Amino acid sequence: MSRGAKPPTAPPRPDQAFISVRGLTLRFPVYGYDAKSLKKHLARVAVGGQLDQARHGSTTVTAITGLDLELRAGDRLGLIGHNGSGKTTLLRALSGAYEPDEGQIEVRGKIAPLLDLSLGIDPTATGLENIRLRGRIAGLSARQVDEKMDEIAAFTGLGPFLAMPLKTYSSGMQARLAFAVATAVDADVLLRDEWIAVGDADFQKIAHQRLLGLVERAGILVLASHDLDLIRLYCNKVMRMDTGVGSEMVSVKALDELLARPSVR
Amino acid sequence: MEITEHMLRTGSRGFRDDLARAIEDLRRSSQGLGLAWSLAWHDVVSRYRGSILGPFWITLSMAVMVLGIGFLYAELQNIPLATTLPFVALGIVFWGLISQTIIEGCESFVQASGMLSQTALPMLTFVWRTVLRNLAALLHHLVIVVAVIIGFGLWRTLNLPLALAGLALVLINISWMCLLTAIISARFRDIPQIVMSIMQFSMFMTPVFWQPGERVGLMDAVLTWNPFFHMLDAIRAPLMGLAPEASTFPVLIGMALIGWAVAFGLFTVTRRRIVHYL
Repeated sequence: MSRGAKPPTAPPRPDQAFISVRGLTLRFPVYGYDAKSLKKHLARVAVGGQLDQARHGSTTVTAITGLDLELRAGDRLGLIGHNGSGKTTLLRALSGAYEPDEGQIEVRGKIAPLLDLSLGIDPTATGLENIRLRGRIAGLSARQVDEKMDEIAAFTGLGPFLAMPLKTYSSGMQARLAFAVATAVDADVLLRDEWIAVGDADFQKIAHQRLLGLVERAGILVLASHDLDLIRLYCNKVMRMDTGVGSEMVSVKALDELLARPSVR
Repeated sequence: MEITEHMLRTGSRGFRDDLARAIEDLRRSSQGLGLAWSLAWHDVVSRYRGSILGPFWITLSMAVMVLGIGFLYAELQNIPLATTLPFVALGIVFWGLISQTIIEGCESFVQASGMLSQTALPMLTFVWRTVLRNLAALLHHLVIVVAVIIGFGLWRTLNLPLALAGLALVLINISWMCLLTAIISARFRDIPQIVMSIMQFSMFMTPVFWQPGERVGLMDAVLTWNPFFHMLDAIRAPLMGLAPEASTFPVLIGMALIGWAVAFGLFTVTRRRIVHYL
């Protein structure tokens, strides 16, 4: 595969990352709330998924309805849509946390969900301990964490502060650490919810480079964001979601046309 | 680069499919036991951060309780201290393992909601985390056990292999209890309070401190039908050089089989939904 430049639309090798979603429907049962009052309350709200009253009197939210998606290595998909349109739910489904009610999800490759930077972070533990813990949760073995430790520590730029408990850090420092660990995992599929701005201007620049590198290394990126500039910067394809229904996937060049449509259906 | 494949289908393919995936979860969580241990050890370390004695604080307070209750019950029940103290010491240490694991089991999934809602980590990992955390605590309390075994000369009569077999059976049993409370408490948040009350009540109904007297009437019923008595008996009796009740090991084995079948059945049915409970 090293001879010459590959055309971007080369058929996927069997060992290459891909995502295939067919007819995905996701429903959430909502427990512990009065279904009627919740329904009354939500009837006035324009955003959000579709609400149904389930047979048992509990409320079910249909977060995603009949979504199809095919992504191959090299695809960088931007998800847009207003709050509650199902973007994060789709990312969680792709990460394997939510299982479909209908339809099928197939993901090949090592998945790195960067949905929440504070995942597995313990404020009372030191920076180094947090790196270790987060790395283990991300699927690294204890040895792999040791091997990557220097690189991660250097990237945070926190130096001696790494031996201090995380609660003594400023929020910018915490974000640096969380970001460094979260992006240290080699992944084929990168799921990213909102490109959270972290740290000061210097760090923003390094972080941006690291993310670009990660996007190039990772086979597939799925990014949910409201920031259209960010989508244009990182993505080559875009999909709009509206009350749990996905539009077809279009090139990022057609982003404005996609947005101009009154609805995705 | 390591390639992991995820294949997730619709849940409407029936019980067989759910069972296959529950077993897959069990398999992956057992392979990733290192992660559960890392999390458990981190829990132990972070709970006692900044204290000098660390986890030995519980060991110390347990030792104080052992001495106090040992002397008291020796006096109350008119039994020589040399018999009472080892009995109470072993009782309190292993009762601690059993009741803490079940009580903390309630939090297994609730505490891990952040991780469960954005990764494909096997869910049972968090049950193992609770069990392993309490096993780590037990390792600290072994100080008391060893002190009693040496101090009261129990090492001359103890049956270590049988005690270890008893411990293994107890661990298998508290694991399913941990899984069961973890699932139910995720769905209904009143359960942790109920579990705590049950464990407190059971502590008094089980011969943790008091020596069981003659087995007649109510006493017989309390001992025969109390699963915790059998759990405690399976570890404590061999350590004290006594034979466990004839029914103890069969009861524990039967309880392990039925308990795991029930808990795993519930896990199979609810597994897809647990993340939504949180």
